[in-house]
Amino acid sequence: MSDFIKHPVVSLPDRAPEPVFSKKELVFTEAEKEQIETFRAQYPTPESAVMKTLWLAQEKFGFLPPEVIRLAADTLGIPFSLAYGVATFYTQYYKAQQGKYVLDVCTCFSCQLCGGYDMVRYLEEKLDIREGETTEDGLFTIQGVECLGACGTAPMLQVTNGPYVHNLSREKLDALIDALKAGKKPPFVSVTLPQDEDDLGGNRRSDAEATEVGQTPPAAETFE
Amino acid sequence: MPKITIDNKAYAFEGQPKLLQFCLDHGVELPHFCYHPALSVPANCRQCLVEVGMPVRDRETGEIARNDDGEPIIRWGPKMTTSCSVDMADGMAVRTHRSSELVEQAQKDNLEFLLINHPLDCPICDQAGHCPLQNQTYKYGPEGSRFEFRKVQKPKKVVLGPRVMLDGERCINCTRCTRFTDEVSKSHQLTIIERGVKNYPMTPPGEVFDDPYSMNVIDICPVGALTSIDFRFRARIWEMSSAPSITVTNARGANCSYWVRDNLVLRITPRANPHINDYWLPDEDRATYPRFNEQRPDGPRIRGDEGLQPADWETAYARASELLGAADGSNILFLGSPYATVEDNYLLCKLAAALGASPPAYIPHIEPGAGDGWLITDDKTPNAEGCRRLGVHPVDPALVRARLEAGEIAALYALEDDPVASGLFQREEIQDIPVVLHTYHTTNETLAAADVALPAAMVVETVGSYVSEDGHAQRVWPAKAIRGVNRTLRMEMGVSRLDSHGTPFDRWHNAANQVHCKPSWEMLPNIARGLGLEWADASPKEIMREIAQHIGAFEGATYENMGSSGVRLTEIGTLA
Amino acid sequence: MEMALFGDNGSGKTDAWRSYERVLLPPVRDLHRFDTYVGHGGYEALRAVLTREEWTPGKVIEATKASGLRGRGGAGFPTGLKWSFMPPVEPGKPRYIACNGDESEPGTFKDRQLMEYNPHLVFEGILIAAWAMQIDATYLYVRGEYADWIRHMESELAMLYDKGYAGKRILGTDFSSDIVIHKGAGAYICGEETSLLESVEGKRAYPRIKPPFPAQKGLWGCPTTVNNVETLACAPLIINRGAEWFAGVGAEKHPGPVLYGISGHVERPGVYEYPTGMLITDLIEKVAGGVRGGKKLKAIVPGGASVPVLRADMIEGVTMDAESLREAGSMMGTAGMLVMDEDTDMVKFLRRVTRFYHHESCGQCTPCREGTGWIENLVTRIDEGQGTLRDLDILLELCDQMEGRTVCALADAAAWPVRNTIQRFREEFEAKCRQSIYAVA
Ligand SMILES: Cc1cc2nc3c(=O)[nH]c(=O)nc-3n(C[C@H](O)[C@H](O)[C@H](O)COP(=O)(O)O)c2cc1C
Ligand code: SF4
Ligand code: SF4
Ligand code: FES
Ligand code: FES
Repeated sequence: MSDFIKHPVVSLPDRAPEPVFSKKELVFTEAEKEQIETFRAQYPTPESAVMKTLWLAQEKFGFLPPEVIRLAADTLGIPFSLAYGVATFYTQYYKAQQGKYVLDVCTCFSCQLCGGYDMVRYLEEKLDIREGETTEDGLFTIQGVECLGACGTAPMLQVTNGPYVHNLSREKLDALIDALKAGKKPPFVSVTLPQDEDDLGGNRRSDAEATEVGQTPPAAETFE
Repeated sequence: MPKITIDNKAYAFEGQPKLLQFCLDHGVELPHFCYHPALSVPANCRQCLVEVGMPVRDRETGEIARNDDGEPIIRWGPKMTTSCSVDMADGMAVRTHRSSELVEQAQKDNLEFLLINHPLDCPICDQAGHCPLQNQTYKYGPEGSRFEFRKVQKPKKVVLGPRVMLDGERCINCTRCTRFTDEVSKSHQLTIIERGVKNYPMTPPGEVFDDPYSMNVIDICPVGALTSIDFRFRARIWEMSSAPSITVTNARGANCSYWVRDNLVLRITPRANPHINDYWLPDEDRATYPRFNEQRPDGPRIRGDEGLQPADWETAYARASELLGAADGSNILFLGSPYATVEDNYLLCKLAAALGASPPAYIPHIEPGAGDGWLITDDKTPNAEGCRRLGVHPVDPALVRARLEAGEIAALYALEDDPVASGLFQREEIQDIPVVLHTYHTTNETLAAADVALPAAMVVETVGSYVSEDGHAQRVWPAKAIRGVNRTLRMEMGVSRLDSHGTPFDRWHNAANQVHCKPSWEMLPNIARGLGLEWADASPKEIMREIAQHIGAFEGATYENMGSSGVRLTEIGTLA
Repeated sequence: MEMALFGDNGSGKTDAWRSYERVLLPPVRDLHRFDTYVGHGGYEALRAVLTREEWTPGKVIEATKASGLRGRGGAGFPTGLKWSFMPPVEPGKPRYIACNGDESEPGTFKDRQLMEYNPHLVFEGILIAAWAMQIDATYLYVRGEYADWIRHMESELAMLYDKGYAGKRILGTDFSSDIVIHKGAGAYICGEETSLLESVEGKRAYPRIKPPFPAQKGLWGCPTTVNNVETLACAPLIINRGAEWFAGVGAEKHPGPVLYGISGHVERPGVYEYPTGMLITDLIEKVAGGVRGGKKLKAIVPGGASVPVLRADMIEGVTMDAESLREAGSMMGTAGMLVMDEDTDMVKFLRRVTRFYHHESCGQCTPCREGTGWIENLVTRIDEGQGTLRDLDILLELCDQMEGRTVCALADAAAWPVRNTIQRFREEFEAKCRQSIYAVA
């Protein structure tokens, strides 16, 4: 979250936006429609399936411009306003185009105290953009976010609503950016329980793509 | 009956009312914003907090424990509760700000919060003067603000739709507007967007807030966040006076207030009536106010060599009587009007009968499919049902044509409608009728053929009754004055001064824009007397009493019974 | 085996925890897989309640009550009692569980690890609770950020359906109950139980006023019970090992195994399973390897951002259970403990916490919507050296103006850390304040 209290300006969304997607692009495939039907079947009301449908739409289109939200609403047969209100309430739905890789760096308190903001500042410097902005090549967006539920491996970040990257350091960020530039998304990492290390000698999952264990966090340099 | 104690005073109650509503109904004022009796209860504004307690009961016996004075011992809740969401229960005790410093402080605190991001632009806000936020801040608010930071800036002057404009900064997020579109009009055109302090109501992109009931959100918005595009900056609320009435755009009889400054109607807002329109009014009912101000006549006219010429009332009446008297009664076509009051149509019936003419008929104005099954009807007139109950039925155009062609129409008395524009007569045909007497509201197409043109008062200027499509008889009060009004006759007008504000612009002080017209119930007796009939002047109230006595379809429809919310008449079919 | 670990004295003040054997996350390789789980006795508790006469729904609730299990989602409400609030079954009226895996409370990361490493314990717990309350469907709400974990669970859940352990006629009995995973999309407030219900219903997640409570009017107006995932994961343990066993683990009035999430300035952060009632000092020093780099402890937040911060000198002898923490002036919350060393700037810490609540307020009610922002403004000003002592007083007054006056407890949760951090570290705040006319010595 950028520093809202310093610039407390809420802007008006474009009320008559040019559609990003053409009519031809703006359809769900039969398979997707079927998927949406199964969402619907999971709940007594079609409204309830809106969150999953928006997720599906976001995965398909990359983000949720109004016409995509409307498509989701229409497919479910629910009011557009409802879907739009929902889409704007939740921060993980991208209402605007983001970089190909959104780097959601946790800056909430555990991460803050372990260098979350250092990581944000480092990324800002490295990518020459500020929190909330996207690089010119459209590859990266940096966002400072609230606790991602991985405080034991602070500081950490999440890539585009997907994999978590734990125990961040500047070196690790360098490697991450290089990998992402090469089109390699980080793997799913199983965070080994300290007790498993003791009892099992490591991670308990034999199908783990990658493992990591909470490390003694570095001393943070910046705090906001 | 179960009892509740509010500020140490006992009240009996029935059913399970919400505490806030009960308090308001019993004169115990409590500040509140989000609660609206016709909407769901989100209890989000937190302004209506009170302390609530229940009597302590003995565990074993279930008896209410009492102190030495025999008073029940109350266990007060650990926190204050929003009175709007509390279901009342027997024995409940309540402390409002009148008896609790905690509540008083909470009200102050909450108002302080509401104001920190509020623009405080009351001097240029349309809502100022009738703003719940402003009023309640004066009454219950803190002395000043301790907030020394930048206020959140939100979109202003956003055109939500053709009729409604939003100022996001003034919004206090009570969600009344979105609850209205979700729960009442069900257009679902509005939603709150964003989260937290960024919240405000908006249409989804590309959608226009054109709900046929959109303007109701302006009325229920407790601040000036939603304003009428048409009415914005037109008048301060304290410069206007309002009168209770009904809308005449259709046959629903929705209750409204006409707001007047300098004898011009500036806007129409709903007036609550649980039997008809609850708190609501369709936008089209509100849009019609210019018709009361524009193209209004300037006194009676008589046809002379050079067409219609101004005349004084006495001359005009005499001429009308003379022309009518010269025709054979059975050859006079009386056209009543579903735009005119029951009283006016009734007098016309009486006149027709006295002259031996057939009973008047009226021209229906039906737009099939225009109705919505709610407050908008296919019938675009306010009183067709009143006409029918008087025995004034829809005109049979074929019959009229036949009579016209047979030369059987020697004279036409057209009451408060436009027979030419409505297509009953072609422009040329009506010229063939030797005598045309016309009482009218605004310049129209029939006037060209009129021999005597008598300007008639409209709903905002008269006293009278209308019967809605489903048989609800209601009376109206004059909202503005007309020239040379006979105030004695119109005793009723005294009652109409239930104005919300005394203002130098109101109708008694100001002669500007007074239309030179008279109500038909004043004109008809004059014409009748000119015909040698012994008609006394009677006030609409007296006329209506007579109607209620003599016509079964109007049984009980006296002004006393109608009061301000009308009476439901018996179905005609069930009358013997 | 792991009998009455601390039960005899109701406290974790001995070294007994060292021999504690984990039950929520037992050291079994690949336990997250259906086969392994079943191979280790998984779903036997479910089979028992569904097939054994003695396990009537009422009996399951009785056992849960007797176990002393209290919710692990933050409020610590007795679980059996909550279950008993469900009204009698009414034909044609569905009943629901909303299982809370939203886990967004800063400093909390245990549900994620539980869902990754032992999802079937959660599912089994859900199904046992479903039997106990005769539930038609459970919506397992998982925060959207846990997309990868949701994928894993979805596939395990599909397996469960395939094998007849969920859905229609579970294990061949007459009992049917569904489980649906609902994916959030980034909103802390969805962890609040009624907000969660709104979110499952596909709405903007505005918490609802209570009463009516979810048991009366929950999902789609039907009786609903909301429980945290870790809470429900305890159900199979209670059935398998008995309520007395459970009641005997850890703190007397707040018993059972619990997942501690330790983060911040410790040598060995992570999720640890131990009984409730552990000494905080043991958790920091002995379990998590002590404060990093041999630094001195300054403060801890014992159970997520919402619970009051404790100064190092306030934790001596304090154990991780509701009673002990209440006495110490804090709460158990989610047992997600943030540890801060001597170098920590408490003003900056609080500044970040206030920012969190400002960002996460749903904005529905006035005191929270407006107050959280005002508070962040004030703390920021103080941190930037522009604050005055009067600002500190205003901050405390604003806490009064918010606490207990809103629809949900987020406003309380936002106010508590402010009040307590200022009260407990006042000198630090004063040191950053400008001298103002109000600074009368
Ligand atoms: C603002 C707020 C956020 C909450 N977040 C969570 C959460 O993320 N996970 C959770 O299990 N409970 C959360 N809770 C607690 C829930 O409201 C509820 O008490 C809990 O899920 C009940 O489950 P339990 O009795 O099993 O603990 C939160 C409460 C509040 C007021
Ligand atoms: S615009 Fe008015 S009615 Fe709508 S939420 Fe804001 S204050 Fe309430
Ligand atoms: S207290 Fe805050 S989060 Fe909770 S309902 Fe009110 S505004 Fe929303
Ligand atoms: S504070 Fe960063 S993951 Fe929890
Ligand atoms: S009127 Fe009760 S909370 Fe708004």
